[in-house]
Amino acid sequence: MIETSIVADLRGRLGEYLEAVTGQEVDVEHFGVLPGSTAQESWQVKAKVGEAAQSFVLRRDPPIPPDDHPLPRDQEFRLIKAAHETGVRVPRPRWYCLEPLILDQPFFMMDYVEGIADGAQLVSLPELAEARTLLPGQMGEQLAKIHTIDRTQHKLDFLPQPRAGFSPAQETIANIRAMILKLGVHNPVFEFGLRWAERNAPKTDKTIVLHGDFQVGNLLVNKKGLAGILDWEYARLGDPLEDLAWPCLRAWRFGRGDLQLGGVGAREPFIQAYEQANGRAVDRNAVDYWEILGNLRRAVTCLVAANRRVSGGHASVERASLGRRSAEMQFEMLRLIGAGGQTDHV
Amino acid sequence: MYDRPDLFQLLGAVRAYLQDDATPVDRQRQAAINLLGMVEREIQMSADHLKAEWARLNYVQNVTTPLPADFQEAHTALTERNRKFCEEISAGRYDIAPGRAALFEHLLMNAHAQLEVANPDFLQALAVEEAKRAR
Repeated sequence: MIETSIVADLRGRLGEYLEAVTGQEVDVEHFGVLPGSTAQESWQVKAKVGEAAQSFVLRRDPPIPPDDHPLPRDQEFRLIKAAHETGVRVPRPRWYCLEPLILDQPFFMMDYVEGIADGAQLVSLPELAEARTLLPGQMGEQLAKIHTIDRTQHKLDFLPQPRAGFSPAQETIANIRAMILKLGVHNPVFEFGLRWAERNAPKTDKTIVLHGDFQVGNLLVNKKGLAGILDWEYARLGDPLEDLAWPCLRAWRFGRGDLQLGGVGAREPFIQAYEQANGRAVDRNAVDYWEILGNLRRAVTCLVAANRRVSGGHASVERASLGRRSAEMQFEMLRLIGAGGQTDHV
Repeated sequence: MYDRPDLFQLLGAVRAYLQDDATPVDRQRQAAINLLGMVEREIQMSADHLKAEWARLNYVQNVTTPLPADFQEAHTALTERNRKFCEEISAGRYDIAPGRAALFEHLLMNAHAQLEVANPDFLQALAVEEAKRAR
């Protein structure tokens, strides 16, 4: 935990910043880390701006940048702004600040939206039962909207994209390979998965803006269902079907393994809602492919996360466990590939 | 050699401390308790898992390489074998039957063994789920 005196200091500096950007008198009444924010990157801010009581979420860059290349906060902000203008359900973005003198790290602020962004609670809370029935449709419809974000119009040229001559699948495979190489592990399960993925890669070259981490743990949900889509720092250009497969991974089912879509519902209504909003048919086999590759990617990123040195002894206990959870994704990947052999999707 | 308490009693004492009713179990504490369980299972199972993986690898590669008697040596030797094995897989040596079927079975058992240590609950939940689906 950050010491109270430091928080008080940050709070004072934030108040001055808010006065500068709003041109009004600001009294920061509350400044605290949001629950579930492991690296103290997300804060809730309650402030009196002029006469109005307002509530914001502040997202700050961690002091040590993670090695899985998330977008810096200003780029994440610009993307959320583009999503907001496209009509995607995101909290209204407000300001971003690259000046380290304010809060030691770059940050951005957006409106606070009431809801729960916790997969384990989402699948189990009785008061969210109705939300769970609404989510598959809402997720499909919202994802389709994300996939219409115009990268040229919104000048999103900073988003990572497949290198020249690489399809989106080949790009993902190359990235996984690079992570394994850096880790220095020699796991035949990874090698088998990579080999399978190379031989079965969809040939599509078309890329669009992906959310990049679209899964129930990154959705803000209230009784009426999907209230906001969060955590855009892994956005990039890629195959839209990768975004459709990612929320179906077993890793995001939170004990409800039978419900493929994030422990809240079946996959088919989600895909159908996406198709209806998007107007294009989705190749289910290709989604299967991306689910398998997604499990491989997650299996490797778990090891990367466990390997990362983090400040603060407490956080490392959970990270260490995460490394061993990689076996879950490895097992799942093998099950999905199946004993039958090459299910060629091409 | 060390009399009492033995290794498992030591770990049990730490677990009892972490699970002390007076203190609420938060996420980190729960993760620590889970890690202790993992350590216990690894101590119990790792020698058998290593032996089994070695034997399966011999079968898949159709060789009869003897397992080094010393555990540490065997561990190092297995790591080295897996490094070369990865290169073979990558080069496509197991792309077709029957090599592929043997490889797949081997890898599934590797992952299964890892889960017996890391998260046996995962395997159990999966078995329950599959039984339900089969009905």
